[in-house]
Amino acid sequence: MAAQAHAIDYDPERNYDEDTLAQQREIEKEIAESQPLISSLFTFDDIVEEYTREDEVYRHKIENLKTRYANLRKTRGDGNCFFRAFGFGYLETLLSNPTDYQRFLEICEKSKDELIALGFPQFTLEDFYDTFIDIVKQVKNPGQLEKLLETFNDQGLSDYFVVYLRLLVSGFLQKNEDDYIPFIDGERTVKQFCSQEVEPMGKESDHIHAVALTKALRVPICVEYMDREGQTCNSFMFDPTESPEESSPKPALTLLYRPGHYDILYPL
Amino acid sequence: MYLALLTKKTKMTSMEKRLQKELQAMTKDPPAGVSVNTNSLSSNLSEWVVDIEGAPGTLYESERFQLGFKFTSRYPFDSPQVMFLGPNIPVHPHIYSNGHICLSILTEDWSPALSVQSVCLSIVSMLSSCKEKKLPPDNALYVRTCSKDPKKTRWWYHDNSV
Repeated sequence: MAAQAHAIDYDPERNYDEDTLAQQREIEKEIAESQPLISSLFTFDDIVEEYTREDEVYRHKIENLKTRYANLRKTRGDGNCFFRAFGFGYLETLLSNPTDYQRFLEICEKSKDELIALGFPQFTLEDFYDTFIDIVKQVKNPGQLEKLLETFNDQGLSDYFVVYLRLLVSGFLQKNEDDYIPFIDGERTVKQFCSQEVEPMGKESDHIHAVALTKALRVPICVEYMDREGQTCNSFMFDPTESPEESSPKPALTLLYRPGHYDILYPL
Repeated sequence: MYLALLTKKTKMTSMEKRLQKELQAMTKDPPAGVSVNTNSLSSNLSEWVVDIEGAPGTLYESERFQLGFKFTSRYPFDSPQVMFLGPNIPVHPHIYSNGHICLSILTEDWSPALSVQSVCLSIVSMLSSCKEKKLPPDNALYVRTCSKDPKKTRWWYHDNSV
């Protein structure tokens, strides 16, 4: 019925684009006002009702998660959540791990020239790199958690960090083009895929983004998939070293995936 | 000229800082057929006019066009609004007669790592690869009904051949 009424009202001589886009902006604004970019810590009891409203099956899965994880942080659903969750979650672990911090800093510092060599324009790249590396250096000293949380909730700084992670993924995929072209859907080159699905802000991350980011920065991560199938979450290890399963490294951080969204998990 | 404009304010926003860098790069080392009209710059750099010239050996050889750029304070996270201005609008299957351009990097595929320079180069290359000067098939309806701001159009990008 509603569809019919709509069909009668529809005026082919009118342009509806502006209204549609205004509505999209309104939705984005609502999300931005109601969700911090990175939240404080929640327990599963805090979020069980909210998640279960989407689907009752999540109730069982949250019980299952409670046997392995203590807390989670929510991230804003703005299409950048994988990158932001990874960025904050990993830097948070470095606050108490000076050895890994040093290793990570060296990889990051080398990355700028590698990206410039791949043809990224120097003056835009440098802008993002400078902010990115300043944020990385914040975790050199322990006890900066509040500061880090503040940084990641400052839209300007946080987005600069996300852009640089996106460029790292793009660079990694382009550098290893032959390995990744079989995974690109549509008649697209790896470069086209990167300029359409990786570099623009707000484009959601898929498996391929996660593989590339963990390999580019050599950070092993685990993702718990909370989809609507089955009674438990399936976990998947993104292991940049590709070591055999029995010797795969301990993940540096774990993310929780629900269709279209990533949050950060904290083990018991 | 533009340097005087830029040093006037002591504290610049991140949008202005970024645009100042872009302006310096474009003025010092402009890509072929592209030049910033420095008289056109507004004091906070939020509006630019860029002169472009059709590349030799193409349908638009030695034709001159003007591109208008408008930036919001969220630049480079918001894409710039870019359209052809003035009396000479290129006749091209992706350019409407009101100056609006159907190019994915101007909306959906915009990335903060792109720049005024990369947008100009994409537009010059779009002109260069054109095989026949003709208007978009839906030009009449679009021009009659569209918003003044091309960023308020939901573009459909279906043809990458020209």
